[in-house]
Amino acid sequence: PLLTMQLMPPGYTFFINSHTSFGKFISEIKPQYLSPVALYRSKRMVLDSVGVGLIGSTTDVFELALQHCQHMHAPDPISSVYGRRGIRLSPTLAAFVNGVATHSMDFDDTWHPATHPSGAVLPAVLALSDMMPANSKPSGLDFLLAFNVGIEIQGRLMRFSNEAHNIPKRFHPPTVVGPMGSAAACARLLSLDPSQCSHALAIAASLAGAPMANAATQCKPLHIGNASRLGLEAALLASRGLEASPLVLDAVAGVAGFNAFYEDYVPQPLKSPSDNDNGHVFLLEEQDMGFKRFPAHLGMHWVADAAASVHKVLVGVDPGKVSPDQVQDILLRVPLSKYINRPFPESEHEARHSFQFNACSALLDGEVAVQSFSPAAMSRPELHALLSRVRLEHPQDNPANFNRMYGEVQVTLVGGDILKGRCDTFYGHWRNPLTNESLRKKFRNNAGVVLPSEKVERLIEAVEELDRLDDCGALLSQLE
Amino acid sequence: SQGITESFGAAIHALNATHLTDGVIHRSKRMMLDTLGVGLLGSRTAVFNKALMYSQRSSVWGRSEITLPPHYAAFVNGIAVHSMDFDDTWHPATHPSGAVLPALLALAETLASRPSGLDLLLAFNVGLEVQGRLMRFSREAYNIPERFHPPSVVGVMGSAAASAKLLGLSPAQCSHALAIAVSSAGAPLANAATQTKPLHIGNAARRGLEAAQLAQIGLEGNPAILDVANGLGVYYGDYNPSPMADSGAFRWILEDQNVAVKRIPAHLAMHWVVDAALAARAKLRDTVGTFDLSQIRQVTLRVPPSKYINCPLPASEHQARHSFQFNACSALLDGQVTVASFDRAQINRPALRELLSKVEVETPEDNPPSFDKMYCEVEIGSAEGRSAAARCDTFYGHWRKPLSQRDLVEKFSVNASSVLCPEGVEGLIDVVG
Repeated sequence: PLLTMQLMPPGYTFFINSHTSFGKFISEIKPQYLSPVALYRSKRMVLDSVGVGLIGSTTDVFELALQHCQHMHAPDPISSVYGRRGIRLSPTLAAFVNGVATHSMDFDDTWHPATHPSGAVLPAVLALSDMMPANSKPSGLDFLLAFNVGIEIQGRLMRFSNEAHNIPKRFHPPTVVGPMGSAAACARLLSLDPSQCSHALAIAASLAGAPMANAATQCKPLHIGNASRLGLEAALLASRGLEASPLVLDAVAGVAGFNAFYEDYVPQPLKSPSDNDNGHVFLLEEQDMGFKRFPAHLGMHWVADAAASVHKVLVGVDPGKVSPDQVQDILLRVPLSKYINRPFPESEHEARHSFQFNACSALLDGEVAVQSFSPAAMSRPELHALLSRVRLEHPQDNPANFNRMYGEVQVTLVGGDILKGRCDTFYGHWRNPLTNESLRKKFRNNAGVVLPSEKVERLIEAVEELDRLDDCGALLSQLE
Repeated sequence: SQGITESFGAAIHALNATHLTDGVIHRSKRMMLDTLGVGLLGSRTAVFNKALMYSQRSSVWGRSEITLPPHYAAFVNGIAVHSMDFDDTWHPATHPSGAVLPALLALAETLASRPSGLDLLLAFNVGLEVQGRLMRFSREAYNIPERFHPPSVVGVMGSAAASAKLLGLSPAQCSHALAIAVSSAGAPLANAATQTKPLHIGNAARRGLEAAQLAQIGLEGNPAILDVANGLGVYYGDYNPSPMADSGAFRWILEDQNVAVKRIPAHLAMHWVVDAALAARAKLRDTVGTFDLSQIRQVTLRVPPSKYINCPLPASEHQARHSFQFNACSALLDGQVTVASFDRAQINRPALRELLSKVEVETPEDNPPSFDKMYCEVEIGSAEGRSAAARCDTFYGHWRKPLSQRDLVEKFSVNASSVLCPEGVEGLIDVVG
């Protein structure tokens, strides 16, 4: 139906356009629509996200963001900060710094279509839960529902555009859909009515969108921090009655809404489960999450696994360390994507976005790990020697798409032998998910950097039990 | 050779008070005065109050009993400035002052040593200049926007530049402030004509200030953010950046391109249609002896094409401020369009609704959606077959026909008096003057 700029008087809903359908969904969805698969998968996401946030609280960029928030803002001590016992901030700032922590090392989850969904949502939901009075905290299930709503909305929005299905070039996806997810999750947790939920989304849209150019810089983690904070802000503003356009998600010719961020955009209404006999199937049930095994851009995981298999052969042939002297040439066959093609990265941020760096690290060490990005590891002469021997090729059949790409590493040895490794699906990808054991191991390694082991174990339990907890405070209290 | 982003950082750092010309000082002081006035008036709006409730905890304009952390002060004061769409407009199109002044004032209050008036004026002009420069990187920016709301794109950059200037950041830090600010840019146009639009200016002020403060404590972004295609360029269909010369052969854009100051709290384009409607009304009255509403059979508006200001039946004050039809009819009915024209009761008047139903809008080919080139024509057809038409090419207040100093001060006085006592009003006029 054609929508003109003449908006209908309040109270009329002749038909549900895309935007208001989203508001209705967020407001009306209930926990009973969370299937066992959705519960299972989302709890894994919560665990991983908390873990990467905790380790992320040890980074420079986190320290900087925290300083900023403490000095620049009046103390409003309500919401806790990852890994900083005794420090509390106002809810939006806590969401901000915890979001920064989550993405600080590029260690957080990645979905298809591409975004980092949990970091934009969890910090906001945690901060908001902290804000609620002690005797009326949300139940664990309400918490989990809000989280899932935030993930779901992001997934639905990305499906409006074909462009979103590929590795991004223009806008950094967490900044586009992240604030929307955060706003949706917070609106859900605040139990806003359908109209307020709509407005929360629309207000968030005016806070969305950052360009790719700041990827691979120290500023990138703020994209997730801001997504979380601004979505929470949008929901809080909507709860105070702020109104925005009810057509932001629809595509109105001549006045861009959410489609401003995409070249192709076809929105669809979202069915509310109250109008739908079949309930609701969350996207997370159909499309699982990718978890990273090491803190770098998702694309790095393919080349690292491919290079690791070559490393295995090399050390098998000549037991001991891999030496650059053995290697004449390294050819990487990877998709074409400028911001992850960096021959000689100079900072940890660049290194996490460098096919070359991750391939060579894995070739040398057999794996890429947290320590691979330390200044010492980054400045190794043997690494530099290998880096200078790398060439890239972008085969036609290797699209810049996390669902279809592959990574190939071809090493030509000095003697003339050629060793090849190929990875189509790295361990941790949604097609080959981390086992619970691997996920917990990652969590223990991360959380253990800042928390004592009893707390680490209790956090694991709290997340595991989350949908059965009467009071999500049991989770919140373990985070400090 | 120096990258573009680097050149901006260097220029922001190197510009000093000696570069301020008389012309620029004069114009920018007028802008400051006008901005303060509309902000003070705007502190009475619903949207401002909602934002203030939200931001609870530098000074809030018009509220002596409240202070807020500087970011939130910048936020709410910016909202106040744009709350009624009463703030200045430039060419290429944006609302330059509202994005910058609230941030600077909030920041100035927190500094250990209070900046001089000249320091403030310099930083303000740096914030304007950067906005002007950035808009000139794109042909798209010269027209009435369709995709991103310009204050959300260049406003945050201006605020970052101005704040960086006031903070005395190094060239590199200035560059990083700009880079960080780009990641806070870009709100879509769809929230124009809603209660959320004023937040675009509030957020621009706030987040630009934040970007400068983050740069000050060492956060780094992409040092080529203005140079590369996937930096600031993502907000434009066409983007061709060029470097900014630092002090050497420097000429402020404000010298050559003045701002428009609004007489009516509505979208700039409304000013043309109001002036044309008033002229047509006068013509009809002069021909017939009186002006009789009931005699009007049809009203034809000839305007530039722009969806978001074409609203036949506005339902809110925000829509009314973005409606050719509403502004033309208000002018015809009342012989003027003022702050009070946008009250709920006025918007819902039966006489107005009836007149609105007689309006037709045409978008002639020769009427481009550009604040520098557009015109508006109003033709009134009366029952006896008479018609009177008038055209406005340049409204009073446009940069081609600036408000006299007296009228500028008068606008300020009326606005500021809504919240300040007379001594306060006079005091501000003296201080800025």
